[in-house]
Formats: sequence, C-alpha cells, structure tokens
Amino acid sequence: MSLAFTDIVGLEAAKQALLLLAVNPALAGVAIAATVGSGKSTLARAFAALLPEGAPFVELPVNVTEDRLLGGLDLEATLATGARAIERGLLARAHGGVLYADGLNLLDRSIVAHLMEALASGVVRVEREGLSAAHPARFVLVGAYDPSDGEVPRGLLDRIGLIVPFAPQTDARLRAEVVRRNQLRKGEAEAGALPSASSRLRNEAADDETHMLRAMIADARARLPHVRVHDEQVQALIQAALSLGVEGNRADVFAAQAALAKAALDGRDRVDDDDLRLAVRLVLLPRATRLPEANESYQAQDEQPRAPEEPGRSERDEPNGAPQVQSEQLEALLLSAAEAELPKDVLNLPFAMQQRGRSGSRGAALNNRRGRFVRAVEGDPHGNRIALLQTLVAAAPWQAVRRAGTRSSAQLAIRKEDIRIKRFRDKAGMLYIFAVDASGSMAINRMREAKGAAIRLLQDAYVHRDQVALIAFRGGRAQVLLQPSQSVERAKRELDVLPTGGGTPLASALLTAWELAQQARGRGIAQVTLVLMTDGRANVGLDSQASADKAGLQREIQQLAALLRAHGVRAIVIDTQANYLSRGEAPKLAEWLGGRYVYLPNARAEQIAKALT
Amino acid sequence: MSAQIAAEPARALRADHSGAASASSAVHYPFTAIVGQEEMKLCLLLNVIDPRIGGVMIMGHRGTGKSTAVRALADVLPMITRVKGDPFNRTPEEVARDALPIESAAERNGASPTPRQPRDSRLRTERIPVPVVDLPLGATEDRVCGTIDIEAALTQGVKRFEPGLLARANHGFLYIDEVNLLDDHLVDVLLDVAASGWNVVEREGISVRHPARFVLVGSGNPEEGELRPQLLDRFGLHARIVTITDVAQRMEIVRRRRAFDADPRAFIAAWQPQQRALRRRIVAAQKRLAEVEMPDDALMVAAELCMRLGVDGHRGELTLARAACALAAFEGRPRVTRDDVKRVAVPALRHRLRRDPLETTDAGERIERALMELQAQA
Repeated sequence: MSLAFTDIVGLEAAKQALLLLAVNPALAGVAIAATVGSGKSTLARAFAALLPEGAPFVELPVNVTEDRLLGGLDLEATLATGARAIERGLLARAHGGVLYADGLNLLDRSIVAHLMEALASGVVRVEREGLSAAHPARFVLVGAYDPSDGEVPRGLLDRIGLIVPFAPQTDARLRAEVVRRNQLRKGEAEAGALPSASSRLRNEAADDETHMLRAMIADARARLPHVRVHDEQVQALIQAALSLGVEGNRADVFAAQAALAKAALDGRDRVDDDDLRLAVRLVLLPRATRLPEANESYQAQDEQPRAPEEPGRSERDEPNGAPQVQSEQLEALLLSAAEAELPKDVLNLPFAMQQRGRSGSRGAALNNRRGRFVRAVEGDPHGNRIALLQTLVAAAPWQAVRRAGTRSSAQLAIRKEDIRIKRFRDKAGMLYIFAVDASGSMAINRMREAKGAAIRLLQDAYVHRDQVALIAFRGGRAQVLLQPSQSVERAKRELDVLPTGGGTPLASALLTAWELAQQARGRGIAQVTLVLMTDGRANVGLDSQASADKAGLQREIQQLAALLRAHGVRAIVIDTQANYLSRGEAPKLAEWLGGRYVYLPNARAEQIAKALT
Repeated sequence: MSAQIAAEPARALRADHSGAASASSAVHYPFTAIVGQEEMKLCLLLNVIDPRIGGVMIMGHRGTGKSTAVRALADVLPMITRVKGDPFNRTPEEVARDALPIESAAERNGASPTPRQPRDSRLRTERIPVPVVDLPLGATEDRVCGTIDIEAALTQGVKRFEPGLLARANHGFLYIDEVNLLDDHLVDVLLDVAASGWNVVEREGISVRHPARFVLVGSGNPEEGELRPQLLDRFGLHARIVTITDVAQRMEIVRRRRAFDADPRAFIAAWQPQQRALRRRIVAAQKRLAEVEMPDDALMVAAELCMRLGVDGHRGELTLARAACALAAFEGRPRVTRDDVKRVAVPALRHRLRRDPLETTDAGERIERALMELQAQA
C-alpha cells in the first residue's frame, strides 16, 4: 500500500516541483536531493497516480545495463521467427510518461550519457550488436539522489528543469508525523483483508484528493498554452540568471516554463511575481555558481512593476529605458526573495560543486558483470551473460547441416559449443586525491605545484579515464577545492583560488580524503591514490580546535591513516619541509598510511607527476 | 541558438501513443532560427560548402545549443545523387570504380544471396538529402563499421555483409555528440576512416572495403572530460561556444524556444523562407567554390600567421586557405581577401597552437593578438 501524494509530509518543494512538471512537460524533469528515508521514493510513486490515464511510469534501477536501457535483441522472438526482433528498452518504454531514477548520482557514466541523449532528442537509437533501430522516447525524468553519495553529473542536472536542493528536515514534529503516517499505513496493510472503517474512510479521502489533483493538473494543462508572460518578466528572469552566474542559456527557458506552469496551476492567465519567485527558487537558484552582488537596486523593491498592458504582444527589446528599469526592479525583487533561500555558503549548491559528503555511502556498486562489453568468448553460460549475437552467429552456419537430421525446419539448433559469453572491462580509472597543506609560508608555492601536477596527470591520463581531486587544509579544517574531475578546464579554473595560512588540520584532511575515496568507490573507481603534500606537523584536531595535546593529535591521525590503509587507498607522502627543520613526522605519516615517502623540498609539478607514475 | 532543449518535450506525458513511427524521426529546430553562436554556425556551413576542410569540433558549455545546431543542419543541406538504394550512397561512377557488389533492397531481403556486379553504367539513380548520421554513444564497433548480416546467417546460413553507420554517412556528415565520452577504440577507428575515406572490415570471415567519405562533426563539453590532443588535431576547424550574456539575445532565445515547444510544426513552417534562402545560398556557394581565387597576399597572411604562432606542419595553412575560399564563395565573391583569412583564423588554428599545460591565455586570444601584430606590421 502506498501513500497518496497529499498524505506525504514534508518535501513541500519537491511536491510543488512535481506538480509543475505534471502541468508542463517542457520542464523535462525534476531532480530531488534527499537522504534515505525522507520519503522521496514514496513521493515519486504517489506522483505516478497523478499522471494521465495510460501514461507509463518506469523505474530505472541504478545498476541498469545498456541493453536494458536502450533495448536489445529479443532472443525468444528472434529464435522463434528467424528474423531479428528488438525488445524495447526502459527509455522507450517510458515514452509518453515518467522515468523515475532513484540514485541519479550513482548511475554509470555511459547510462548518464544515454539519458542525456534521450532527453535532448526524444528518441532512443540502438546501434549495437547487429541491431539498428530508433524508438520514440519522450518522457519526463524524475530523479532523486542522496547528496552524500556524491554529485549528479552536471551535464545531466543541467537538462533537468527543476532542481530541489537538499533541505534537511529539522522540524522534529514533521519528522514524527512522517513516521506516524507511515506506520498507520503499514498497520493497515498488515491488517490485510479487513480494513477498518476509519482506514477505509481515509483511503476514500485520499482517493478524492488524488482525483482532485488530477483534475487540477488537467485543467492547468489545458490553460498552459494561453498563459502569458511579459517581456519584462522574462528579462527579469534572465537578469537573475546572469546575477547568479548560471551557466548556459537553457535555464532561461526552463525558468520561463516553470513560471508559466505555476500560473496555469493557480488558474491564472498571467504570470505574476510569485510565479517568477518560484521559478527562481526551483530553476535558477540551484544552478547558481555565485552569490548575487549586493546592489543598490534592492531599495527599489517596494515599487511594484507596472501592471502589464497589451499582453501577448511582444515589444521587441527597445533600448529606451522604461522596460529595462522595470525588469531590473523586478530582478532585484526576485533576488532579494531568493537571498533568504540561499544557503550561507553558496558553494553548497549542486552546481558550485562543493558539497561535502558524509560518510556511510552505499559502498561498492561494482560487480564483475558491469563495465563495457568488450568481446565474446566461448565459455560456460552459468554465472555469465550470454552474448546473443555472437552465439547466433556461431550457430548460424551449421543450421542447414543440423536441420538435415531432423524433420523440423523452423527450429534453430544451438549447441553448447556455440554459446558465447560476454567479457566486460571496467573502464573506471584511478582517482588521485591531492591533499595539500595550505598552512605556513610555503603554501602558495606548494599549491601551485600541486595544481600543475594535477593538470599534468589529467593531460597524460586521458586514455585511462583517471580523475583528480584536490583538498587544501589550513585553519580549522580541510576543504575540497576540486571534486573528482577529469577536466583540465575545471581544474585550472577552480584551483585559481588559493587560500593559505593558519593552522594545520591534518586529521581533517585525512578524513576528507577518506570520504572522497568512499564516494569514488560508490561510482566504481577501483583505485584511489592519496597524494599528501605536507611536512606532517599537525596542530589542529578534528574538532577544529588548535591543540597542544600532541599525543591526542597523533592518535587521531594514526587512526585515520589506518582507516585509509584498511580501505586500500594507496598513499604517497611528499615531504615539503626544508631538511634542517624536519622532525621525521612526514616519514612516520607515510608509514602509518602504508605508503611511499618522497622527499621533495622544492617539489616541482613535473617531479610530483613523475613520482606518481 | 542556445537553450534548445528536448526536441518536442511538450509531447511527453501524453496518454496517447499515436505516431510511434513518425515520432522516431525527431523534429528539429530550424538552423536559421538559431540565435547567436555565429562562429559555430559559420564553421558548419563552411564544411558544407567544402567538405575537404575536414570537419569541425564544437566545444562549449552545457545548454548552448551545440547539438541543436548540428541536428538542425540536415534541413539546410542540398540534395545529392546516388545509385538507387545503394547502402553506400555512391554515384554511378563510383559504383563502376569500386567494383564492389551492390545489392538491391529485394536482394537484401533474401531473394538471391549471390552478389551481383554492376552490369552497365545506366544504373538508376535517385536524389536524396545529404545524410547526417548520428553516432549514438552506445554504438558498438560492429554497428559502426558493419558486420555479418545475422538474418541472412539465420535464415539462409550464409555470411553477408551488413553495412553500418559509416556506410550510411558516405558523402554526408557523421555527428558524434559528447565525443569526449566516446570509447577510445571507436574514436581511433573513426579517425582512421575519416582520414583515408575507406572503411575496411575484416571480421567473422567477412572482408569488405567500402568508401566512407564524410565530414566528421564532434561536440562536447570540456568539463565532462578532456579531449585527446591527437583527436583535436584531426578536425579541420575548432569552434568554441560560450553562454550568451546579451539579455536581448537571450530573450529572443526564450521567445523562439517557447514558440517552437508550443507548436513545432507551425514554427518550422514559419521559418521555411529563411531555410530555403540559406539552402539556395549554399548550393550557389558550392558551384562557385571551384572558381574562387586565392591571391598571393591572402596566402601570405595565412603563412605568416602560422609562422608567427609556431603552428607545426602545413595542415594549418591548408585549412586556413580552404576555409577562406569557402567563406568567399558563401558571400558570393570570386576572390579571397586578407580579411577572409583573418575571419577564419581563430577556428582554423585554435587547436593547432603548441600546448603549455599551465598557459591560461585562451588560444583564441593568442591568435587575435598575432593578427593584430600582423596588421600593425603591414
């Protein structure tokens, strides 16, 4: 028994977003960041009940294979008829409806690429293993992800119109209510065949609400084409996007579509300021890469924009002042409203890439049957995946001969020696985590060389699909400057900021590295290498306090080092201390990590890169 | 333009499943309705006019309309002639030259498994639009290059070659979106074929060699993964696109995109005059191209620029010259000017400069600077 959409407590922004999506599929999808147990899956299933009759709701498992996603040879039909038959994949089956993926950030790279392709073209093309076909695949994507499992590929996130950022449920009463309602439902389900009168009543009430919502959505969909949005309003959205540093021009269109959907949902024919605010909140804000500059136009916020006249007729961008001023006021209004929503640290937004993962990710998603299908070999079908095409090809030439001995001519004779099994190669490369001591006077130099080494590694490592992450540690705690990335461009850009000076929170750096390593495992990266550039002299503990308790600090570091070692993280400690000051701490650290010790007091980028390969 | 999103997203969530067949041919946003991104559009058009330019790689931000532009290109391309039903899109002359068996559709369906040689030069021909073949990311090598026809093997027990995407792309365009995510092995195969113009298949006891001349168009986002330098070098032109920051242009983008999403067919119909005009202009430019002259002073600019920038080899000059000629032809002029060379210099040379891993100056800026220095010198 599932909960009805309206019965779900919390996740208000997600509900709002899903309703907008149901009204306006041009929004392409909704991405919901929420932790396990917040009810996101329940919500998605309840959403399915709101869809028009016959619209499919297809679930995309995290470990889906390319065959299943795109479609492939339908063996049964192919063997039965002797002509190839294609089985539609999940993308094609979602056509006209919803594709639901829980774990957007855990999907395989190639799966993400196919999703993006289908979202962009509305068609799924199969060109593999002897098949060539195209199926329509226009669907909206509802995706959920647990931010602590790592980030959603930005390319994918960009194609999803509405993004509901992570909002921890801190309200204790709300949490209690979630649990209460869930248990009520469960209790009823377990009571089985004899539902109590009260629960029947509640069910009917829920049904009524579902009916009502469906009618509301249908009404809004009919209204949508007639809703008007003013040029000044679109302009205000665009200016807000510019102020927030939103990349690309796609978000403008999504923002306008979201505002239109909201107006339609509220039964209005015109977009108003509330609609725009919602659009900013669900479309632009989650894509922000910087805080809007505090500007003087906030004073203007109590001046209401002129009531739009002559709607629908678009006044072409006249530069004669009036509309410009108006849209600026509107933009200020939008941004000041957005300001309140903005987390203190804009870098916590998904597009700013600085989410700090928590520990306890789902562990290794890797198994020996994933990766890319490389070739087919003869082998035992038990526990392996059969390569259909190759099996058929192997069997084909013998058919005439084998048939000769039997009466039947329709059957395909496949023998054991024809069976071919698939061999996979996992393409995930290495992850290099650079953890750089940014405290002290040599910090700037160290950071520059670490950056150079990171970029060099990326450039040499293209074929291996390696990734690089960079952690700087100074002051109270370590900070991830660059999330695992393959991009030289990003590395160059994001490593331009080099905060230096302060204490040495070595323990925090080790913990952060371990978290990154865990996330990488979740994405199937087999080998993680930690490159630690430090003199090894820690003076700040995990509690972010400078501590004189040397023994305590050492213990902490030793434990963390053992943890990294236990998880198979390869370590290299690059000692950057000028020799006469060295007290042998870096070598000790290397020993604890079970890693290599390299003494490079004036470490150059090339030397570091060389030491790693 | 930018922000061209899903082809017909407004159609999703609809209860009826009508038009499953027609739906698989996606409706494309018109090329001429694309706002801004002039460098990318010009690079594509120059390659249409002169395929010898060697393709184009488009790199840029998400949501800036890379794939929209390439997919839109198909509609403004001229028609070509091929032998009727030829899976390799060959002209009668090419069929005679290749001595490669051709098979009619009827034969492919199993009428006669024995290949037949072309009997005479009076083969029937047909006009088809220049093919734009999309290479999906999941494509396997056998589908790209062609493989054994499994149906024939199943039903008749014979080995027959079934052409792949490379055959379909002959005399057309081959488009790879997210080229930086493509399997490295497949990239190597594609580059080999693009360079030689021939696809050679030796697998499962089949041995076939067929022509595969196509303009390779790639696109990608540099943040999704780095491109191998060797790969970049093979493309004639390299266009870079960025987010449009002009508010007026962005408003126009939203306006047009909304109109397209609301009623794609009406939108496309409204842009037909512009589409037709561009098509005519392309055909005229193709005709004119052979007569376009490149005077010495323009050649000198090309050579000096390459020297100044330290571009290795002669591919830089050659591409510059071809692109400049195509530009002159496109604009209806019989002679290439120095200005033509300068206008195509950035996309023709951007990816050919020596690389310094820590160089932060954009290659485009370095070329612009060299152009200014040339100007000052002259």
